[in-house]
Amino acid sequence: MPEPKIVTVTNTVKTTVPIVARPKGAQINDVKIYVVTAENYDEFVKKFTDKNGELAYIAISVKDYENLSLNFAELRRYIEQQQQIIIYYEEAVKPIPEEIKNN
Amino acid sequence: MFSSLRIAIVLTLLALGGTGFMWIKKLQGDLEIARENVAKMEVAVQVSEASVATLQADAVRSAELNASLQRELQTAEKYGDELRATLQKHNLTALAQRKPGLIEDRMQDATNKLWDDLRGITDPNGVQQPDAGTQNSNSN
Repeated sequence: MPEPKIVTVTNTVKTTVPIVARPKGAQINDVKIYVVTAENYDEFVKKFTDKNGELAYIAISVKDYENLSLNFAELRRYIEQQQQIIIYYEEAVKPIPEEIKNN
Repeated sequence: MFSSLRIAIVLTLLALGGTGFMWIKKLQGDLEIARENVAKMEVAVQVSEASVATLQADAVRSAELNASLQRELQTAEKYGDELRATLQKHNLTALAQRKPGLIEDRMQDATNKLWDDLRGITDPNGVQQPDAGTQNSNSN
Protein backbone atom coordinates (compact mmCIF):
# COMPACT_ATOMS: atom_id res chain seq x y z
CA MET A 1 0.00 0.00 0.00
CA PRO A 2 1.56 3.33 -1.01
CA GLU A 3 2.17 6.09 1.56
CA PRO A 4 -0.77 8.53 1.54
CA LYS A 5 0.09 12.02 0.37
CA ILE A 6 -0.49 14.82 2.88
CA VAL A 7 -1.72 18.04 1.42
CA THR A 8 -1.44 21.12 3.66
CA VAL A 9 -3.44 24.15 2.66
CA THR A 10 -2.98 27.26 4.82
CA ASN A 11 -5.50 29.98 4.28
CA THR A 12 -5.52 32.88 6.74
CA VAL A 13 -8.38 35.28 6.29
CA LYS A 14 -8.19 38.62 8.13
CA THR A 15 -11.31 40.69 8.25
CA THR A 16 -10.54 44.14 6.95
CA VAL A 17 -12.96 46.94 7.67
CA PRO A 18 -12.15 50.37 6.26
CA ILE A 19 -12.26 53.01 8.96
CA VAL A 20 -14.59 55.77 7.86
CA ALA A 21 -14.18 59.43 8.71
CA ARG A 22 -16.02 60.71 11.71
CA PRO A 23 -18.99 63.05 11.27
CA LYS A 24 -18.39 66.77 11.50
CA GLY A 25 -18.49 68.24 14.97
CA ALA A 26 -21.71 69.51 16.49
CA GLN A 27 -22.52 73.10 15.55
CA ILE A 28 -23.85 74.50 18.79
CA ASN A 29 -25.34 77.94 19.27
CA ASP A 30 -24.94 79.87 22.48
CA VAL A 31 -27.96 80.40 24.72
CA LYS A 32 -28.56 83.28 27.10
CA ILE A 33 -30.03 82.41 30.45
CA TYR A 34 -31.94 84.73 32.76
CA VAL A 35 -32.74 83.98 36.37
CA VAL A 36 -35.91 85.85 37.19
CA THR A 37 -37.57 86.38 40.53
CA ALA A 38 -40.35 88.68 41.73
CA GLU A 39 -37.70 91.09 42.97
CA ASN A 40 -35.74 91.47 39.75
CA TYR A 41 -38.60 91.06 37.29
CA ASP A 42 -38.71 94.71 36.22
CA GLU A 43 -34.97 94.73 35.72
CA PHE A 44 -35.26 91.54 33.69
CA VAL A 45 -38.01 93.01 31.48
CA LYS A 46 -35.84 96.02 30.69
CA LYS A 47 -32.71 93.96 30.08
CA PHE A 48 -34.59 91.43 28.00
CA THR A 49 -36.43 94.02 25.91
CA ASP A 50 -33.23 95.94 25.27
CA LYS A 51 -31.59 92.79 23.98
CA ASN A 52 -34.43 91.15 22.08
CA GLY A 53 -36.67 94.05 21.12
CA GLU A 54 -39.87 92.62 22.45
CA LEU A 55 -41.07 90.88 25.52
CA ALA A 56 -41.77 87.29 24.62
CA TYR A 57 -39.88 84.50 26.30
CA ILE A 58 -40.04 80.87 27.23
CA ALA A 59 -39.73 80.24 30.95
CA ILE A 60 -38.84 77.06 32.72
CA SER A 61 -38.82 76.33 36.41
CA VAL A 62 -35.64 75.66 38.33
CA LYS A 63 -36.67 72.03 38.61
CA ASP A 64 -37.15 71.76 34.87
CA TYR A 65 -33.81 73.47 34.33
CA GLU A 66 -32.26 70.77 36.50
CA ASN A 67 -34.03 68.12 34.46
CA LEU A 68 -32.77 69.75 31.27
CA SER A 69 -29.23 69.64 32.67
CA LEU A 70 -29.60 65.99 33.57
CA ASN A 71 -30.97 65.23 30.12
CA PHE A 72 -27.94 66.89 28.53
CA ALA A 73 -25.69 64.95 30.89
CA GLU A 74 -27.33 61.74 29.70
CA LEU A 75 -26.86 62.69 26.07
CA ARG A 76 -23.25 63.56 26.76
CA ARG A 77 -22.69 60.22 28.47
CA TYR A 78 -24.29 58.43 25.53
CA ILE A 79 -22.13 60.27 22.97
CA GLU A 80 -18.95 59.58 24.93
CA GLN A 81 -19.73 55.92 25.42
CA GLN A 82 -20.65 55.49 21.76
CA GLN A 83 -17.33 57.09 20.83
CA GLN A 84 -15.44 54.74 23.10
CA ILE A 85 -17.23 51.75 21.57
CA ILE A 86 -16.26 53.01 18.10
CA ILE A 87 -12.64 53.37 19.25
CA TYR A 88 -12.81 49.83 20.64
CA TYR A 89 -13.97 48.43 17.30
CA GLU A 90 -11.42 50.48 15.38
CA GLU A 91 -8.65 49.08 17.57
CA ALA A 92 -10.04 45.57 17.33
CA VAL A 93 -9.87 45.46 13.54
CA LYS A 94 -6.32 46.84 13.41
CA PRO A 95 -3.58 44.30 12.68
CA ILE A 96 -1.89 42.89 15.79
CA PRO A 97 1.43 44.69 16.41
CA GLU A 98 4.50 42.47 15.96
CA GLU A 99 5.76 43.06 19.53
CA ILE A 100 2.51 41.62 20.92
CA LYS A 101 2.63 38.71 18.50
CA ASN A 102 6.18 37.84 19.50
CA ASN A 103 5.50 37.90 23.25
CA MET B 1 16.79 -31.13 -21.41
CA PHE B 2 19.74 -29.70 -19.62
CA SER B 3 19.62 -26.52 -21.70
CA SER B 4 15.88 -26.14 -21.01
CA LEU B 5 16.60 -26.29 -17.29
CA ARG B 6 19.34 -23.74 -17.72
CA ILE B 7 16.98 -21.41 -19.61
CA ALA B 8 14.34 -21.87 -16.92
CA ILE B 9 16.84 -21.01 -14.20
CA VAL B 10 18.03 -17.93 -16.10
CA LEU B 11 14.46 -16.80 -16.69
CA THR B 12 13.61 -17.36 -13.04
CA LEU B 13 16.69 -15.39 -11.96
CA LEU B 14 15.79 -12.62 -14.38
CA ALA B 15 12.22 -12.58 -13.08
CA LEU B 16 13.45 -12.50 -9.47
CA GLY B 17 15.90 -9.74 -10.32
CA GLY B 18 13.21 -7.72 -12.09
CA THR B 19 10.79 -8.17 -9.23
CA GLY B 20 13.46 -7.19 -6.74
CA PHE B 21 14.36 -4.15 -8.79
CA MET B 22 10.73 -3.10 -9.02
CA TRP B 23 10.28 -3.65 -5.29
CA ILE B 24 13.32 -1.54 -4.48
CA LYS B 25 12.11 1.17 -6.83
CA LYS B 26 8.73 1.14 -5.08
CA LEU B 27 10.41 1.33 -1.68
CA GLN B 28 12.47 4.27 -2.85
CA GLY B 29 9.31 6.01 -4.10
CA ASP B 30 7.52 5.35 -0.80
CA LEU B 31 10.52 6.63 1.11
CA GLU B 32 10.56 9.82 -0.96
CA ILE B 33 6.84 10.36 -0.32
CA ALA B 34 7.40 9.71 3.38
CA ARG B 35 10.21 12.28 3.42
CA GLU B 36 7.96 14.83 1.70
CA ASN B 37 5.19 14.03 4.18
CA VAL B 38 7.52 14.59 7.11
CA ALA B 39 8.59 17.94 5.66
CA LYS B 40 4.97 18.93 5.11
CA MET B 41 4.05 17.81 8.60
CA GLU B 42 6.84 19.97 10.00
CA VAL B 43 5.51 22.95 8.06
CA ALA B 44 1.98 22.15 9.24
CA VAL B 45 3.16 22.03 12.84
CA GLN B 46 4.91 25.38 12.42
CA VAL B 47 1.77 26.88 10.90
CA SER B 48 -0.32 25.49 13.75
CA GLU B 49 2.07 26.89 16.34
CA ALA B 50 2.00 30.28 14.62
CA SER B 51 -1.80 30.15 14.55
CA VAL B 52 -1.94 29.33 18.25
CA ALA B 53 0.45 32.20 19.00
CA THR B 54 -1.69 34.55 16.92
CA LEU B 55 -4.84 33.43 18.69
CA GLN B 56 -3.20 33.87 22.08
CA ALA B 57 -1.97 37.36 21.15
CA ASP B 58 -5.42 38.16 19.85
CA ALA B 59 -7.02 37.00 23.09
CA VAL B 60 -4.62 39.10 25.18
CA ARG B 61 -5.26 42.15 22.99
CA SER B 62 -9.02 41.66 23.14
CA ALA B 63 -8.87 41.46 26.93
CA GLU B 64 -6.81 44.66 27.08
CA LEU B 65 -9.15 46.47 24.70
CA ASN B 66 -12.17 45.29 26.64
CA ALA B 67 -10.70 46.41 29.97
CA SER B 68 -9.87 49.79 28.46
CA LEU B 69 -13.39 50.11 27.06
CA GLN B 70 -14.95 49.31 30.43
CA ARG B 71 -12.77 51.97 32.08
CA GLU B 72 -13.78 54.57 29.50
CA LEU B 73 -17.47 53.68 29.76
CA GLN B 74 -17.21 54.10 33.50
CA THR B 75 -15.45 57.45 33.13
CA ALA B 76 -18.27 58.70 30.91
CA GLU B 77 -20.70 58.11 33.81
CA LYS B 78 -18.81 60.46 36.11
CA TYR B 79 -20.10 63.72 34.63
CA GLY B 80 -23.74 62.80 35.21
CA ASP B 81 -23.01 61.40 38.65
CA GLU B 82 -21.25 64.58 39.70
CA LEU B 83 -24.02 66.73 38.27
CA ARG B 84 -26.66 64.78 40.18
CA ALA B 85 -24.61 65.11 43.35
CA THR B 86 -24.22 68.87 42.82
CA LEU B 87 -27.94 69.35 42.20
CA GLN B 88 -28.82 67.33 45.27
CA LYS B 89 -26.33 69.23 47.39
CA HIS B 90 -27.68 72.69 46.52
CA ASN B 91 -31.21 73.99 46.62
CA LEU B 92 -31.11 75.88 43.35
CA THR B 93 -34.57 77.40 43.81
CA ALA B 94 -33.61 78.94 47.14
CA LEU B 95 -30.29 80.13 45.77
CA ALA B 96 -32.00 81.69 42.75
CA GLN B 97 -34.45 83.48 45.06
CA ARG B 98 -31.68 84.89 47.22
CA LYS B 99 -28.99 85.67 44.63
CA PRO B 100 -30.49 85.63 41.15
CA GLY B 101 -27.61 87.57 39.61
CA LEU B 102 -24.98 85.22 40.97
CA ILE B 103 -26.92 82.11 40.00
CA GLU B 104 -27.59 83.55 36.55
CA ASP B 105 -23.84 84.03 36.01
CA ARG B 106 -23.09 80.53 37.31
CA MET B 107 -25.76 78.97 35.11
CA GLN B 108 -24.57 80.91 32.09
CA ASP B 109 -20.94 79.88 32.65
CA ALA B 110 -21.92 76.26 33.21
CA THR B 111 -24.14 76.23 30.14
CA ASN B 112 -21.40 77.80 28.02
CA LYS B 113 -19.02 75.15 29.31
CA LEU B 114 -21.46 72.41 28.41
CA TRP B 115 -21.65 73.74 24.83
CA ASP B 116 -17.85 73.86 24.70
CA ASP B 117 -17.65 70.30 26.03
CA LEU B 118 -20.16 69.09 23.45
CA ARG B 119 -18.22 70.84 20.69
CA GLY B 120 -15.07 69.17 22.02
CA ILE B 121 -16.41 65.64 22.31
CA THR B 122 -17.99 65.77 18.86
CA ASP B 123 -14.87 67.23 17.24
CA PRO B 124 -13.78 64.65 14.65
CA ASN B 125 -10.12 65.51 15.29
CA GLY B 126 -10.32 64.89 19.02
CA VAL B 127 -11.35 61.32 19.61
CA GLN B 128 -10.54 61.13 23.29
CA GLN B 129 -12.82 62.54 25.94
CA PRO B 130 -11.78 66.06 26.94
CA ASP B 131 -12.32 66.25 30.68
CA ALA B 132 -15.25 64.02 31.51
CA GLY B 133 -15.98 63.78 35.19
CA THR B 134 -13.61 66.44 36.41
CA GLN B 135 -14.39 67.83 39.80
CA ASN B 136 -16.18 71.17 40.22
CA SER B 137 -16.70 71.78 36.53
CA ASN B 138 -20.24 70.66 36.06
CA SER B 139 -21.72 72.44 33.13
CA ASN B 140 -25.21 72.35 34.56
